[in-house]
Amino acid sequence: MSGPVDVELRAVTKRFGDVVAVDRVSLVVPQGTFLTLLGPSGCGKTTTLRMIGGFEHPDSGEILIRGIPMGRTPPYRRPTSMVFQNYALFPHLTVAENIGYGLKERRMDRSTIDRRVREMLQLVALEGFENRYPRQLSGGQQQRVALARSLVIEPAVLLLDEPLGALDLKLRQQMQFELKRIQTEIGITFIYVTHDQEEAVTMSDYIAVMNRGRIEQLGTPEELYERPRTRFVADFLGTANVLPARVESADSHTAALRILGQRLTVSVSDLSPGQDVWVVLRPHWLQLTEPHDECALWSGQVRAKVYKGSTIHYRIAVDDTTDLQVETPNTAASPVYCSGDRVGIRVEARHIHVVTE
Amino acid sequence: MGRLLQRSQSLGSLLLIVPALILLVGFLLLPVLLIGLYSVYSTDPVTGLMRADFTTANYVRLITSPVYRRVLIRSLEIAATSTPIGLLLAYPVGYTIGFLVPRRRQTLLLLLVIVPFWTSYIVRTYGWIGFLQTGGFLDSIATLLLGRNVELGLLYTRVAVIIGFVHVYLPLLILPIYASTRAIDPHLLEASSDLGAPPWRTFIRVTLPLTMPGVVAGTTLFFIAVFGSFVTPQLLGGSSDVMIGNLIADQFGEAFNWPFGAALAIVITLVVLLGLLVFFRFARLEQLYG
Repeated sequence: MSGPVDVELRAVTKRFGDVVAVDRVSLVVPQGTFLTLLGPSGCGKTTTLRMIGGFEHPDSGEILIRGIPMGRTPPYRRPTSMVFQNYALFPHLTVAENIGYGLKERRMDRSTIDRRVREMLQLVALEGFENRYPRQLSGGQQQRVALARSLVIEPAVLLLDEPLGALDLKLRQQMQFELKRIQTEIGITFIYVTHDQEEAVTMSDYIAVMNRGRIEQLGTPEELYERPRTRFVADFLGTANVLPARVESADSHTAALRILGQRLTVSVSDLSPGQDVWVVLRPHWLQLTEPHDECALWSGQVRAKVYKGSTIHYRIAVDDTTDLQVETPNTAASPVYCSGDRVGIRVEARHIHVVTE
Repeated sequence: MGRLLQRSQSLGSLLLIVPALILLVGFLLLPVLLIGLYSVYSTDPVTGLMRADFTTANYVRLITSPVYRRVLIRSLEIAATSTPIGLLLAYPVGYTIGFLVPRRRQTLLLLLVIVPFWTSYIVRTYGWIGFLQTGGFLDSIATLLLGRNVELGLLYTRVAVIIGFVHVYLPLLILPIYASTRAIDPHLLEASSDLGAPPWRTFIRVTLPLTMPGVVAGTTLFFIAVFGSFVTPQLLGGSSDVMIGNLIADQFGEAFNWPFGAALAIVITLVVLLGLLVFFRFARLEQLYG
């Protein structure tokens, strides 16, 4: 992340009564990026977004937009615009009047407003809907009007608060690509809030995973998936087997770990002997083999099998308390196991990812 | 099957409106029809009793005599003056309770608005006499403030009548305005601010248009209530503040001329209905309610 910065948060904290909603969050958003704040409900992502938009103000810390400290600047003097979760379209105004709302505030003349509204309607593929009222539109159409209404005022940063939450799955997926297309086309910064990890991975350049008011990890979707920094991130983004492990010996580059009774040496630094850690294993990093395979690290029994088309998901009982999730490609060459079968589980040491918190 | 279901559903909803229908027919439609019937009856010149025959004399008398037209116009005048004053007072109250007060405290404030409504209309109006009469509370305050003897002489004037109406009927304006502010999604105000509108512009462009249904409903209730009143002008007004309600009350009371009172009542009902029709057409309610 380098180049000009659109939004910067410096140790921003926000409390509601006794609850710390946002806890010393720092964040730098470079110009033109699609950043997603991802986390479960109550993690502080929406509050963070609302503070950037000026609807809430931090109790401490600072928010800078294009290098200017915002202080208690109200929303109507910020170069940001928000797409609300419920769209918040003005029910007494037509589609064209909704989109032109911000332009009228900027004292533009009628013909300019008309032209810009038409351009926006074209961008969001809603030509011919100018004179409809919001209640006469479907959820997806309302969503696009809200988007157009925010984009037409050419904000430096577009803020989106779970804008696809109310749409059905098919439409949601379609709108994900649409949003990414529009963002690439106009090249402004998008800050997007969602609890849907698939949505985040599909659209984002960067994802900030939030938990309990703090950013657990900030990175590209690949980084978060391949190298999660905490158990929470590993769990929240995609499916993961998170197993407790103990460091038996360690030097500067490697460590010997005991995982589910088996000893394995992995290349990892900064661990000390006796330390309790966790290993993260993505289901497709594991391989199933014959039960007596010498190279298998563990053995277990197939508890459940789910056919997913291009892959098959297994749930393997390794001991009385631990199940491992394994995903194997569904090809003619790979063997298929049935519920109750004994299997061996292989994992390559380079795939073992260690987290300490 | 679908049609059958639809039919039974519409039958069900018909059943739901039956109680309201009974109430409206029994306590509104029938009395109005009865009044309509009385208005074409005549009175026995000797006994003064009502005679069940058919005459247009009552209406002819009403239309040809300038007195009644003058009183009708005066009633409209008083209602038309009280309504904007009431609106100016009620809007900030409804707006404040609905928007600026936290939800859990709204109930208490609403109660404070409604409680006076449970107190007798006449008692509250009498209260104003003590306030407005010569040497009354207002005069005393003014005397105290100005340091010399002041007589405002407000009682038995048009001003007193309007003060009385605004005070007595204010909840009719406050409650619908409050209700309409409650129906506004707060995100709309945030969206307006977000798009560059300072608070006063948001008020003009979003809040005001979206509270119009409340304003229209409140204005209608208030106007009609004032227009048909007879107690307030009787207690607080002078001889030049007689309203159409007073005339009707007189005909049914002291004058004991029910047919003529009924004709007056029918005429003001028609005037109100006509006014409502024009007002609703003008206010485009269906668009406001969405």
